[in-house]
Amino acid sequence: MTSIYTVLALSLNLVLGYGGMLSFCQAAFFGLGAYISTLLTMKAGWPFVPSCIAAILVTGGISYIVSIPLTAFRDDFFVLATVGFQMIVWSVLYNWTGLTGGPLGIPAIPEISIFGSYLSSLPAYFMFALIVAVLLWLAVWRLSASPYGRTLKAVRDDELASMALGKNVHYFRRTAFTIAGMLAASAGVLFAPYASYIDPTSFTVDESIYILCIVVIGGTGNLRGPIVGALTLVLMPEVLRFLHIPEAVAPNTRQVIYGLLLVLMMRFRPQGIAGNYAFD
Amino acid sequence: MIVETENLKKRFDGVIALEDVNLEFLPGSVTAIIGPNGAGKTTLLNVMAGFIQPDSGSVFLIEGNDNPFVSGAGTEKNNVKRDIVGLAPYMVASLGVGVLFQDVRVFKRLSLLENVITGMKHQIGENPLAPFFQFHAVERQEREAIEKAAHLLEIVGLSEKSRLCAEQLSFGEQKLLAICRLLAGESKVLLLDEPTSGVHPEMVARLLDVIQTIAEKDACTIIIVEHNLKVVKRVGSWVYLMAGGKVEVFGKPQEVLRDETLRTLFPTL
Repeated sequence: MTSIYTVLALSLNLVLGYGGMLSFCQAAFFGLGAYISTLLTMKAGWPFVPSCIAAILVTGGISYIVSIPLTAFRDDFFVLATVGFQMIVWSVLYNWTGLTGGPLGIPAIPEISIFGSYLSSLPAYFMFALIVAVLLWLAVWRLSASPYGRTLKAVRDDELASMALGKNVHYFRRTAFTIAGMLAASAGVLFAPYASYIDPTSFTVDESIYILCIVVIGGTGNLRGPIVGALTLVLMPEVLRFLHIPEAVAPNTRQVIYGLLLVLMMRFRPQGIAGNYAFD
Repeated sequence: MIVETENLKKRFDGVIALEDVNLEFLPGSVTAIIGPNGAGKTTLLNVMAGFIQPDSGSVFLIEGNDNPFVSGAGTEKNNVKRDIVGLAPYMVASLGVGVLFQDVRVFKRLSLLENVITGMKHQIGENPLAPFFQFHAVERQEREAIEKAAHLLEIVGLSEKSRLCAEQLSFGEQKLLAICRLLAGESKVLLLDEPTSGVHPEMVARLLDVIQTIAEKDACTIIIVEHNLKVVKRVGSWVYLMAGGKVEVFGKPQEVLRDETLRTLFPTL
């Protein structure tokens, strides 16, 4: 799960930390990736790898189309528009029962099979997810250290000045949003076979807020933050177990702690534990 | 590159900002636009940069060899004349028009080097696929860009601070950095909105030296909006005096600064 959430945090960090766009719809792309790859595997009978590639590309296409109206908005309006998109995707997943199973979801998702061999054990799956997360981290590192990443940061810092230097700010915002959508879809294709069951409740606006917590607490604007954030938040339930909190209140306690951490971070360290960009 | 405006008109809620403005700016010269507040100077600059669309009229960029100040001047048919009204600001900038904003607008969280490199045009690595599929070309261009940026920072005297974040600079230094960023883009037309306002007098001299050098050595067309008449006298080749959205007087700085209209508009002079 840490690898999956690291990829999700990388996705949001690209949009927020490098692009300066506060997005609340990463869970929608996460869900689209999970559903599309699962449907292609289970209903169309595609092998795992092609279905993953198709799911990532289709989600990329959707995120590009969505980015056209979305990136025309600024600040608060952009945030509200992403919440709107998140709600649309959730509604489609919930109500298109013929395709997605609606609230019942899709059970019995097969294990990951690569070139005929199944990743049936948890350590094997862990290694696979870790390798994918490391490869994606390296790709984002390369991108963020390139002229593309530099100009994206310039657009984040001052849109008007970027335009005055001949930079097409819409191009940079849209491509960042699209790449982030594809990254979130990658996390989705890893998640579905791990959970072996998906339903719309895994891809709600709450999930988007959880991803935002990971990024804000871990830190934005660099590539350490997503790892620190994912480790902190995903492993926190394990730490809480040692405190012998009763099972019935553990999830609520967790929510309270996440919320408290978020407030404390905003007050004392807005750039997060390991970040270097404090969004305003 | 010659810049010409033709019958520019602009109103904001009925208030006249520009009224039939016809101007010409020549390469290798610094043309100052002066006038009282509300004269339409900054509106004119924003129209030329593409940030404001005029109600009517044109802004032409003329590339060619019919500049009377350049030896071997040719005929008008050798020129490429392009109306830039209606183009997005980034398109205007990519045609060679650079802007220095009054409030500077450097990229505060980027280093000085990064600021200057961002100003460069046609970077292969700005395509998100290029860092993966054109690795060597991107790296080679990046090395050249760093070298060029370091040289430009040396020209404006900021090379020792090249690794600092831009927000760590003083206001005057940020103006120098913004000019350096314009130079990196090899803009042929520079629109400078009050380049010396808020700058320490010592830094003003350095700034004006840089502006003059760019105009003379790089044959840039420099247009400055300025309130400080001493600055106009020092660097201006030509001066337009504007009031109420119209051009009232045009001429050499000495002529315009002696004109009666100027004394009427600025009684405290």
